[in-house]
Amino acid sequence: MRISGFSYLIKEGLKNVWNNRIMSIASVCVLISCLILTGSAVLFSMNVSQLVESVSDSNETTVYLENGLSKVEAVYVGRDLKKIKNIADAQYFPKEEAFEEFKGRLGEELFENMKGDNPLPDAYKVTMTDLSKYNETVDKIKALDGVQKISSRKELAQRLSSINSLVQTLSFWIVLALGIISLFIISNTIRATMYSRRFEISIMKSVGATDAFVRIPFVVEGVTIGLIASVISTVALVFLYDGIMSIVSSLIHIEVMPIMSVIWYVALIFVLAGVVIGALSGFISIRKYLKKEGNEILGW
Amino acid sequence: MEKIIEFKNVSKTYDSGTHALNNASISIEKGEFVFIVGASGAGKSTFLKLIMHEETPSRGTILVNGVNVTKIKRRKVPYLRRNMGIVFQDFRLIDKMTVYDNVAFAMRAIGARPSAVKKRVPYILDLVGLSDKAKNRPSELSGGEQQRVSLARALVNNPSIIIADEPTGNIDPEMSFEIIELLSKINDQGTTILVVTHEHDLVRHFNKRVVVIEKGRVVSDTNDDGESVPYQLTDYSDIDSSDVPPQTAEKISRQVAQEFSEIVAENSEEGQPYGGSNAEVSSDIEG
Repeated sequence: MRISGFSYLIKEGLKNVWNNRIMSIASVCVLISCLILTGSAVLFSMNVSQLVESVSDSNETTVYLENGLSKVEAVYVGRDLKKIKNIADAQYFPKEEAFEEFKGRLGEELFENMKGDNPLPDAYKVTMTDLSKYNETVDKIKALDGVQKISSRKELAQRLSSINSLVQTLSFWIVLALGIISLFIISNTIRATMYSRRFEISIMKSVGATDAFVRIPFVVEGVTIGLIASVISTVALVFLYDGIMSIVSSLIHIEVMPIMSVIWYVALIFVLAGVVIGALSGFISIRKYLKKEGNEILGW
Repeated sequence: MEKIIEFKNVSKTYDSGTHALNNASISIEKGEFVFIVGASGAGKSTFLKLIMHEETPSRGTILVNGVNVTKIKRRKVPYLRRNMGIVFQDFRLIDKMTVYDNVAFAMRAIGARPSAVKKRVPYILDLVGLSDKAKNRPSELSGGEQQRVSLARALVNNPSIIIADEPTGNIDPEMSFEIIELLSKINDQGTTILVVTHEHDLVRHFNKRVVVIEKGRVVSDTNDDGESVPYQLTDYSDIDSSDVPPQTAEKISRQVAQEFSEIVAENSEEGQPYGGSNAEVSSDIEG
């Protein structure tokens, strides 16, 4: 197709959006709400993931060794730990280091009277690959010789990761449902345009316009609606997210993910989703008309 | 002469069971001007739809420009239609566009270059005598003018066939003559013209080939004798009078009687005594 022909069809598509503006605005609004809901679900899930990660990262499971174990025996325990499948890493944490850390955290003064006595055991700091297998892994660690006890914030991490998987499943279905709803509403809008332009469609077909020529303006209409909605959604989501997160972080002390770190990613997904949904709506709606001939198009 | 449209034993039965065309055969040559006449429901519209590939025949073969359109692929249909310009009874003009844009629309719809549109549209508007109305809306024009816009739109893509479906149905008689004259002028340039009409005055006035379709059959064709003869009476011999409701029969017989007397008058003026079989037809219907 020649550029001149194509630019004419794009102009026609944009005219469709404008001539049918009430319906176009309605479609844009529906698509915006769908995209924002979808985006919120994804952002929520990303935050929870980040939280789970930070919890499991900064609070590795500490495996305390029995008192009086020699350094060599400690190395053997470390080797056994690393052999357990779910353990990503086991870092030796000698009691001297632990003592120093303790002192640093609580203040030197408290320990002045201890005169070098160190009541702390040697330990390993263990990180796991898959937190959902936490219990099995802990059982395996406990079974090892030389292990005294295990401490961690396992419950929090576990609960967070189960929330995360729930959110992910839920958002998948929300995204799917809203996607279908948007598709339906935009196709209806385009169908309204098509109805008001059925006369032109019938003339185009009678003078020998190809299916592509009849179709492109309506696909352009859908894509335009999708693009407008995705740009507005991106901007709206930034403000919405910042607003909600400033409230959330003032209530509970957690580190929230800054929106700017993912904004381009979000924008890209929105634009893609908008364009695909819009184009698909155009394609679906025009199909019926392309099959009709002559007066059938006009409904006579 | 090269054949441009050829129907070979074409039948069309709609899903509803209506037999719109029944074993119809007809051939139209390049550059011909043909009137297609017949009562409403006779199958004229189906005939046109089959040519335009808006319908496909149930049986038989249709050739347009030597191409078997019954076997044509769906995506080739638009290119078939670019050979044809269609003029509708109800004009089918888009009122939110100017006259110029209505004509240009047909070119843009098939992807013509803007420069070609700029060159061609004024030329065609001049041809139909509407240069001064280019910026008007169709609703501001008279019926005859609107039909000329419709004709300009049909002509703008330089088709080899113009198909006019009752082009004079919605305009007054004087304008009707003008439209057919215009079509006749276009025909002189070599474009094949097909005009469906039921206006006998027009058909009689222009000495062209006349094909009569009744009940889905080609019942009379002035070309059958090998030469073009003036249009005479509609041949109703195919109608079984028991099928026809009394009112219709009465209407037909009145029409036949009138046509008969007119032709007798015309022929006697020319000093040719008229004595045809049509007198019997008329009495057949009455009976």
